Amino acid sequence: MAAPVALGRDICSLARIFVGISSHLPLTPSTSFHTGVVFSSTPSSITVTDEPDTLFQKVSVLVKGHDRAVLNSYEFFATMAAKELGITLDKVFEPPKDIERLTLLKSIHIYKKHRVQYEMRTHYRCIELSHVTGSTAQVYLEYIQRNLTEGVAMEVTKTAMEKVPDHILESMWKDQPTDDKPSQ
Amino acid sequence: MAAHTSKAFLSLGQINGPGLGLYSSLSRVTYATAPSTNTFTGNKGFPDKGKRGPFVRKPRRDAGEPRTEKMAVDQDWTAVYPAAASFRADSVPLPVRMGYPPEGGVHPAKKGNLELIKIPNFLHLTPAAIKKHCEALKPFCTEWPSALDTDAKCDEHFPIKMESTDYVSAGMSVRNPSARIVNLKVKLSSLNLDDHARKKMLKLVGKRYCKATGILTITADSCPFRQQNTDYAMYLLTVLYHESWKTEPWEATKTTADVEEYSWENSPSQNNILDTLVRMRVAGEEEVEGVREELLGRREVQEYKDSVTRLKNEGESESTMLQYREAVKKVFNL
Repeated sequence: MAAPVALGRDICSLARIFVGISSHLPLTPSTSFHTGVVFSSTPSSITVTDEPDTLFQKVSVLVKGHDRAVLNSYEFFATMAAKELGITLDKVFEPPKDIERLTLLKSIHIYKKHRVQYEMRTHYRCIELSHVTGSTAQVYLEYIQRNLTEGVAMEVTKTAMEKVPDHILESMWKDQPTDDKPSQ
Repeated sequence: MAAHTSKAFLSLGQINGPGLGLYSSLSRVTYATAPSTNTFTGNKGFPDKGKRGPFVRKPRRDAGEPRTEKMAVDQDWTAVYPAAASFRADSVPLPVRMGYPPEGGVHPAKKGNLELIKIPNFLHLTPAAIKKHCEALKPFCTEWPSALDTDAKCDEHFPIKMESTDYVSAGMSVRNPSARIVNLKVKLSSLNLDDHARKKMLKLVGKRYCKATGILTITADSCPFRQQNTDYAMYLLTVLYHESWKTEPWEATKTTADVEEYSWENSPSQNNILDTLVRMRVAGEEEVEGVREELLGRREVQEYKDSVTRLKNEGESESTMLQYREAVKKVFNL
């Protein structure tokens, strides 16, 4: 996996391993186990490239659904998957639900005093992961999303870390002290 | 023996009913050996009766024992539910009840229960299944570099943060136009800026800078693709940086109204207080050059300076007004 890193600027110089999923993940990752021994002995080919891996300081997964019990189960699944894959869980919490209410006329014609009320409840669950690499995030998110329950939506907010690019390190006008370009 | 062979059949993907053709669905298992005795489905029209109508339905086969009777306690559940599937009462050996109970009764049982079929189940994602999946996925993951264990170290080496959001939902289209929005966050202290550059940058950037946290946020959403927006945000940052280092000729016309922070030196407040004190000192004495400097050095005058600066910069509040009052009292020995 990642080569051992030393402190300081050396982090940028060491090539991080980028693991690509060259073989197509099956539709549901579990079908291979159903048929038994055959698949486990032939591993899918893993390509390792020198391209540096993106680093995510925080990955926030927000799931929305109409049924709280379904979200409970999904949270259990997601947290367990994160633990098994070795991803640190920052916090798992439940934002308060939203209720959207409508008041409509009960009858198609007249009868204004008789109405009917509907409401739509949206429950939320937020799972925050911290310090995830790009490959791990890709694997975990694909696994989570393929097993996303019907009727449940997801928003994933990723915060990627980057170094200050070379052209912003120093002012470019330092070499031309007398050249005062007027703005156009 | 029958149970053993049926289990062996079950572990394979498909079941070949002996001599009866292929059946792809697991629930419609045919056992050539065991006819059921407890479920009496009632054959439609005894074929032995003399009267034959225009159509005679084939006699309905008995459903047979549910599979749950033959399941062992230590079976491999991941083989029963390998993928997401709706609830099958005959495949789940749990006494589940669901639904509104009739008056004086209990919740309806699982056989033929539509409520159980409607709700999404997680029978294919038991802890054993999750462990198996993660075992297979582990080789594709990489480890986080151990040197970046705290947020402070991350900020020190990688100060630029790019935030973007992905959306997953069922609908007519997979795309979500909000996915193109990119937020670029930088702490200004991590950029190489001198005093003039910093002030100019703050003026250029305006509301995008948060004073409390010291973070500059650039939101790019004008392009249709996320990659384009990230490139544009980086371009904006580059331009801001280099423009703030430049000193234009018209910047020399900066007035006191344009300054960001109030400075007391050479301000009307300083002149006023010094004039007042000089006049208070001795009415008849001639003015000496060094009097003003001497007065400036006095502690009360310094305290007055601090209180006025604080008042102008932070605005009026209980503490600032109190401080000003104390300073004035001390200066005039009240």
